[in-house]
Amino acid sequence: MITTLLVANRGEIARRVFRTCRDLGIRTVAVHTDLDADALHVRDADVALRVPSYLDADAVLAAAKESGADAIHPGYGFLSENAGFAAAVTDAGIAWVGPSPKVIEQMGRKDAARDLAVAAGVPVVPSYGIDEDPATFAYPVLVKAAAGGGGKGMRVVRAAADFDAAVAAAKREAASAFGDDTILVEKYVERGRHIEVQVLGDSHGTVVHLGTRECSVQRRHQKVLEEAPAPALDDELRDRIHASAVDLSASVGYENAGTIEYLLDASTGDFYFLEMNTRLQVEHPVTEIHSGTDLVALQIAVAAGEPLPFGQSGVRFGDHAIEARIYAEDAFGGFLPQAGTATVVSWPAAARVDHALESGQVVSTSYDPMLGKVIVSGRDREAARRALVAALDDTAILGLTTNTGFLRVLAAGEEFAVPGGIDTAWLDRHDVPAPDPAPARAVAARLWLDANTAASGPFAADGFRMGAPAAAPVVALDEPATPAARVPSGTVARTTAHRVELAHHGQRYVFDRPDASADHAAAAGDGTVVAPMPGTVLDVRVAVGDAVAEGDVLGVVEAMKMELALKAPYAGTVTAVGASTGQQVALGAELFVVEGESA
Amino acid sequence: MSETSEPTLRDLAADLRERLARVRQGGSEAARTKHTDRGKLLARDRVDGLLDPGSPFLELAPLAAYGMYGKPGSADDYAVPAAGVVAGIGRVEGRNVMVVANDATVKGGTYYPMTVKKHLRAQTVAAENDLPCVYLVDSGGAFLPMQDEVFPDKEHFGRIFFNQANMSARGIPQLAAVMGSCTAGGAYVPAMSDETVIVKNQGTIFLGGPPLVKAATGEVVSAEDLGGGDVHARRSGVVDHLADDDAHALRILRGIVDTLPAPAAAQRAEVEDPHEPPESIYDVVPVSTRTPYDVREVIRRLVDGSRLQEFKQLYGETLVCGFARIHGHPVGIVANNGILFSESALKGAHFVELCNQRGIPLLFLQNISGFMVGREYENRGIARDGAKLVTAVACSVVPKLTVVIGGSFGAGNYGMCGRAYDPRFLWMWPNSRISVMGGDQAANVLATVAGREDDEEFKQPIKDQYETQGSPYYASARLWDDGVIDPADTRRVLGMALEVVSAVPTPAPSYGIFRM
Repeated sequence: MITTLLVANRGEIARRVFRTCRDLGIRTVAVHTDLDADALHVRDADVALRVPSYLDADAVLAAAKESGADAIHPGYGFLSENAGFAAAVTDAGIAWVGPSPKVIEQMGRKDAARDLAVAAGVPVVPSYGIDEDPATFAYPVLVKAAAGGGGKGMRVVRAAADFDAAVAAAKREAASAFGDDTILVEKYVERGRHIEVQVLGDSHGTVVHLGTRECSVQRRHQKVLEEAPAPALDDELRDRIHASAVDLSASVGYENAGTIEYLLDASTGDFYFLEMNTRLQVEHPVTEIHSGTDLVALQIAVAAGEPLPFGQSGVRFGDHAIEARIYAEDAFGGFLPQAGTATVVSWPAAARVDHALESGQVVSTSYDPMLGKVIVSGRDREAARRALVAALDDTAILGLTTNTGFLRVLAAGEEFAVPGGIDTAWLDRHDVPAPDPAPARAVAARLWLDANTAASGPFAADGFRMGAPAAAPVVALDEPATPAARVPSGTVARTTAHRVELAHHGQRYVFDRPDASADHAAAAGDGTVVAPMPGTVLDVRVAVGDAVAEGDVLGVVEAMKMELALKAPYAGTVTAVGASTGQQVALGAELFVVEGESA
Repeated sequence: MSETSEPTLRDLAADLRERLARVRQGGSEAARTKHTDRGKLLARDRVDGLLDPGSPFLELAPLAAYGMYGKPGSADDYAVPAAGVVAGIGRVEGRNVMVVANDATVKGGTYYPMTVKKHLRAQTVAAENDLPCVYLVDSGGAFLPMQDEVFPDKEHFGRIFFNQANMSARGIPQLAAVMGSCTAGGAYVPAMSDETVIVKNQGTIFLGGPPLVKAATGEVVSAEDLGGGDVHARRSGVVDHLADDDAHALRILRGIVDTLPAPAAAQRAEVEDPHEPPESIYDVVPVSTRTPYDVREVIRRLVDGSRLQEFKQLYGETLVCGFARIHGHPVGIVANNGILFSESALKGAHFVELCNQRGIPLLFLQNISGFMVGREYENRGIARDGAKLVTAVACSVVPKLTVVIGGSFGAGNYGMCGRAYDPRFLWMWPNSRISVMGGDQAANVLATVAGREDDEEFKQPIKDQYETQGSPYYASARLWDDGVIDPADTRRVLGMALEVVSAVPTPAPSYGIFRM
């Protein structure tokens, strides 16, 4: 019987676990760093204790003891797959909500995991010795650096004749990139889908699966959209995948929740073991919806030594569920991480949202950039997909840019509409087009108009003209915009006289009114840079013929105890230099001339 | 329009809209193309760009100079559309401003006599209502062939700068953007302004242009070097801001207006629509000034909730007086409902005093053929009572608005606040007529005096003259009013005007001697 549970984690997953604990009447303990002292997960817990770091195993364990916790849930990431920590927890007499340290250890080592899979009869990606006869390989194969990463030293070889040259090239690249030219050869899957199976085992020898998930929509191995069940699998294949997952789990005596990930070759239907994650997954909610379970409650029951309340035949599958991960990143701006204050946060009402972000919260780059997960379901995949689009339309985060708009474009796109239509490399091959800003701009124009002009009365902003049709209002934003007829209901925006920030179809837009005084083009004059004061030339940094960018310092003049940097008024070429270091110059003396296309 | 079928008010309104559409085009297509090909915005686009998005525009005298500078009744009627200058009140950064924009596609934006008169009228409206003035300058200066009607007199070109100086002295901001040529006297518009913007490689300011300089001193100089944007922004100091193009200049102006001290906003109640739609006004007003109708049907369509709190409803019934609101602004309405008798004049004088006592703006709805004549009325002293009304109106300190909705004849024009009585605004409907008396009466009077009472040959030219000169378009061309308006627009126009005039505090009332 578990009465007090500490979550060795933060953010949405800590909150997720606490929610089930509350349902079960279990006292909750949060740990937090100084940065998170006021975080939502801290406020959700009955007790909160400070730790120097979420990775500080000793401090977390000490916190558990201090708070009287009789169980620790590790969430995902941080210490969740740290076998040493799991062992320390168990040794301290505290229940570990997860598999045994031994299994964590085994599955954490790629080679060991692969061996276990092979032993359990689970298919693995075929690999070949570098010295084997290339004529015997099943092409295409992937030649890759053992120390590899980022695509360097990687070659796809489609015919035996090309093999030697590819190996040589890969070795050269690997040697220069990693200083290690060890090369591996394995089967190359042209169009691979990421399929995984949720398994659950108890300490009484029962192992069940809770169905499949597909997480093929990923970017550089970061999952973006996940769904349960994996679509477009025929029953026979699905059964085989289920069975292999249960077999592997049973073969290692797996207890608690785990996930076995597979690469499915979409063209052949062959699937290969990738790895096993010995913890709760980020995307577990889709399985919860699909299988009608509370995985955290089951985890806690298993950790308390209870048997699973159902066997495999007791698992009932229902709705199709899809999860979208909201990240603080500018998906249409090179996926750069974003930080700042989330001034307005509005989560969709008609979706399950596992998050730890509220209005006014500061998002830093110190931790994982995932802000939350929007999870929807529907009777079938298409219904769920439509629900996702609607939910993302209703997701609004202002203050910093998130990937919500990107997710919305993806979810509404024709590729995702095809069940299993996106493979794991798809996002790396394709640029998802940014949505046309015109509709958002039109809404912004309407918001601006409504906020800054009279709505009624004789001077109402309806463009009234005497004896003539009304003049259509045009609001100058980044470009002139005709206001939308109305603001769509539920639009989240912040509007001032000079700026409209709004979320439209999930995408955050910031439209600024043109600022006449910020436009310095007119100040540039004819490209002649003159001495702004009588003084001495301290430095001349350019010569005739040099190309300069706008704002480049051309030289420095000292006058009246001030050093004045003389800058290029616009990009161009220096065509005259009338100054030399140490020279006394008069007010207005022509020191430099820059000629540019705008001159 | 054939003589057999009288045009309806709706027809007349449609005719007005056609005329206005032609005026809005500005100069010839060739002139407009030349203008825009230089990257310049047309005058009305400049106004729209200056105003807040969606701002309404209370335009002044769009039909000024109509039919005046060419062969009457020909295409020449539009020789100088809008007198070559667009003027009116709109919102900039939330505050009301007077905009005066030269239309360089009309004779190079030069000042005809009516251009001067309109420019001065705009300044008068600005001065009376404390409206910042924004001049969008693009003008070659005085129209030289008519210099005698443009230059020397009190109300001529020089008065523009006199007004600028005096408005500036009163704290009414004077702002200018030089968006084209700005020559000779015109150079003083930006120079006399509080803050001035110039568009580079486009705006020029000089007292004498390159041809004049060459003639005078032999110096050969380009317009840009003589008085271009860079010269004035960097060297001469004639302007304060240098803009890249028209749009940038307008943005700078908006920025300047945004920094002006906020004016006291006019207070008003919630707006309530009248019970009848605006267009229904066409159906209740007969076009002929001879056909009587109840002016309350007009008032119902102008006032909030169609509610009029009538004053002395049972006395002097040919003048309807009462309190109402238009677009939330309180207003005292004085409307003709027949010929003026002594009682009506006394009632009107009393009501005008009430409005002055309470600080409520007055609205006169003119449809007046005159005061009652005849021995009985003269002997009882109708002139004495008419004088009381004229005194009360003349000495009113509250803002007055006048709309001529029918006839405006004789002394009725005075008592009902004609142009001479300084209404803040005066508009005419397209069906209205204005003259000292009706054409028939004038012809008969003159025929009687000449002893040719039954001589139709004598009378017809007189009738024709009155017919022509009594037209609202003849009046509007000459700035006797602030524009001919579509009756259906009247409520909105009055609402805007009330919003403008109500922002200025009124002094305590005092009157001349009322003849008792």
